Amino acid sequence: MSADVALEVKGLRTTLFLREGRVDVVRNVSFQLNDGETLALVGESGCGKTLTALSVIRLLPDPPARITAGSVVLDGSDITGVPESTMRSLRGDTVSMVFQEPLTSLDPVFTIGDQIEEAITAHRKVNRREARDMAVEILKEVQIPSPRQRLDDYPHQMSGGMRQRVMIAMALVLDPKVLIADEPTTALDVTIQAQILELIRAEQERRQLAVLLITHNLAVVSQVADRVAVMYAGEIVEEAPASEIFANPRHPYTQGLLSSIPSAAGDSKHLYTIPGRVPDPRVLPPACLFAPRCPYVISRCWHDHPGLEASNGHLLRCWNPQPFIALKAVEPEVDRSVATSE
Amino acid sequence: MASYLARRTGYMVLILGISSVVIFYALRSAPGGPSGGGVLSPLSSQEVRQAYEKRLGLDQPIYTQYFIYLGHIATGDLGTSLVNGTPITELLKVHARNSLILGLSALLLSYLIAIPLGVLAAVKRNTWVDQLAMGGAILGMGIPNFWLALILVYFFSLRLGLLPSAGCCDPPQLIMPALVLAAEGTAVTMRMTRSSMLEHLRDDFVRALRAKGLPEWQVIIRHVLRNALIPVISLTGLRLGWLVGYALIVETIFRWPGVGYLLVDSIIRRDYPVAQFFSLLLILFVLLANWFADIAYGLANPRIRVA
Repeated sequence: MSADVALEVKGLRTTLFLREGRVDVVRNVSFQLNDGETLALVGESGCGKTLTALSVIRLLPDPPARITAGSVVLDGSDITGVPESTMRSLRGDTVSMVFQEPLTSLDPVFTIGDQIEEAITAHRKVNRREARDMAVEILKEVQIPSPRQRLDDYPHQMSGGMRQRVMIAMALVLDPKVLIADEPTTALDVTIQAQILELIRAEQERRQLAVLLITHNLAVVSQVADRVAVMYAGEIVEEAPASEIFANPRHPYTQGLLSSIPSAAGDSKHLYTIPGRVPDPRVLPPACLFAPRCPYVISRCWHDHPGLEASNGHLLRCWNPQPFIALKAVEPEVDRSVATSE
Repeated sequence: MASYLARRTGYMVLILGISSVVIFYALRSAPGGPSGGGVLSPLSSQEVRQAYEKRLGLDQPIYTQYFIYLGHIATGDLGTSLVNGTPITELLKVHARNSLILGLSALLLSYLIAIPLGVLAAVKRNTWVDQLAMGGAILGMGIPNFWLALILVYFFSLRLGLLPSAGCCDPPQLIMPALVLAAEGTAVTMRMTRSSMLEHLRDDFVRALRAKGLPEWQVIIRHVLRNALIPVISLTGLRLGWLVGYALIVETIFRWPGVGYLLVDSIIRRDYPVAQFFSLLLILFVLLANWFADIAYGLANPRIRVA
């Protein structure tokens, strides 16, 4: 199958209109997502990855957030600035979203059957029985045992993993082109995480689904992503195929993230952490946004904002890339000698 | 659940028993009495009064009277009015019906006003709609209902001549008493609906529902409102209790021949059997209302139903 573009975002800017003034929280973000492909959007909390996703599906909390520039092309048609009614007909049908916390993402006073059926009837002219049959079918597909009985369950009667399967079922029941998964496994325990990721991957293969995976968890990324875009302070700083990102990370921020993964064979007792903290979007550094935390900062980083430059399909926003060597935590000197000598 | 219900029922019987004793003693320790101007003429002679009290058994100690009364109730004999000899069962039929008409109209009216306005105020938060509704709610809670009743009578009956000032039982005569009876509950319900809506509009599932492509009205009415109504429903039990209290005032002002009106009248005239029976009836009603509120809470909230 030829790789058709399922979702293309160009120059997206999302702005918060606060009492103190306007704050851009997503800046000039562009990416392309093909059918059957998984693009992982990675970064720390508050780097703008969720707001990027919500901008695509246009569910930003307005006020205060609004898209102020850029275009979104979904399944071949430009949906920039289309009216809310058009957006509504696309949501859940052409583009679906799965959220982080499956318990609070389901309405507690409706059965899961009701909630799946209404996703169907919002977009298709089917009667109750047909909607119910579709719901059973999709629950079976996401491997929920005895699906017909589970339709009458309320969300609180299911386990966390089951609930996330239900959320995925609900997102996929109308066979969308694009699935946005916002930290889909963060609220689940590790064994369940693997099952949910496996489920997403299986569904993706079956349906040629384009998946935009939002996560801060690099282990998750390594399991499922084809390509990775690393976001920092509202910008994409590096984008490359997943294997390339893990083998040859070039941006110091990406290198820092990879160095922060605790490894089983780790020779250090201490975990590496990137020094400093994510900048406040109201007071950003003058040029390169990562400069204040960067181990390889040079003077140009303080004057010129680096552009996102491509080389061999590897996009990078950095003036002074260095080969990757796993950064080590500074071991605090716990000197026994001090204690004994005194 | 069964043991819970049994315990609840036990409490109800206990409260009814205690209140029957209190009511029995309170009525008889009030000055006067059926022979002292309530039922008999205040000018009747000492002999006539004593004969009357003897005939009714009022010359006996109060606890003896109490147990005789219990015996009668147990055999289904509710007694008759001392004033006009009407059997209490007859009074019950007429007055309970009138009170139910008034009470249910007030309740219906208040939910018809309070819930839509509460939802609107929450959705249009901090706009003039919200401020108008909340301003109205503060007036509704602040204005004493007897005063509101007088103002309404003054304008709609005396000034404009649109509505009858009192009486029963045509729809025009129902309007003002129902309005006054509904006022405070409407205000409280509206505020509660609004704050509960605002709370649930922030829930994660609202965004998830929008992500499914549901129309906004369906998100608000079917989902957010359904969640927001849980505390509103449980408030209904309390509101039924308030209604009973306010009914005494409102029915008296508008001369609406309901249980409240009858009770006030019977207490003034020291019509012991009527006063006793109907005060206990109102207590029973309040107890049942609270019991109902618990059940309704479970019906609205599946998480409680199962637990």
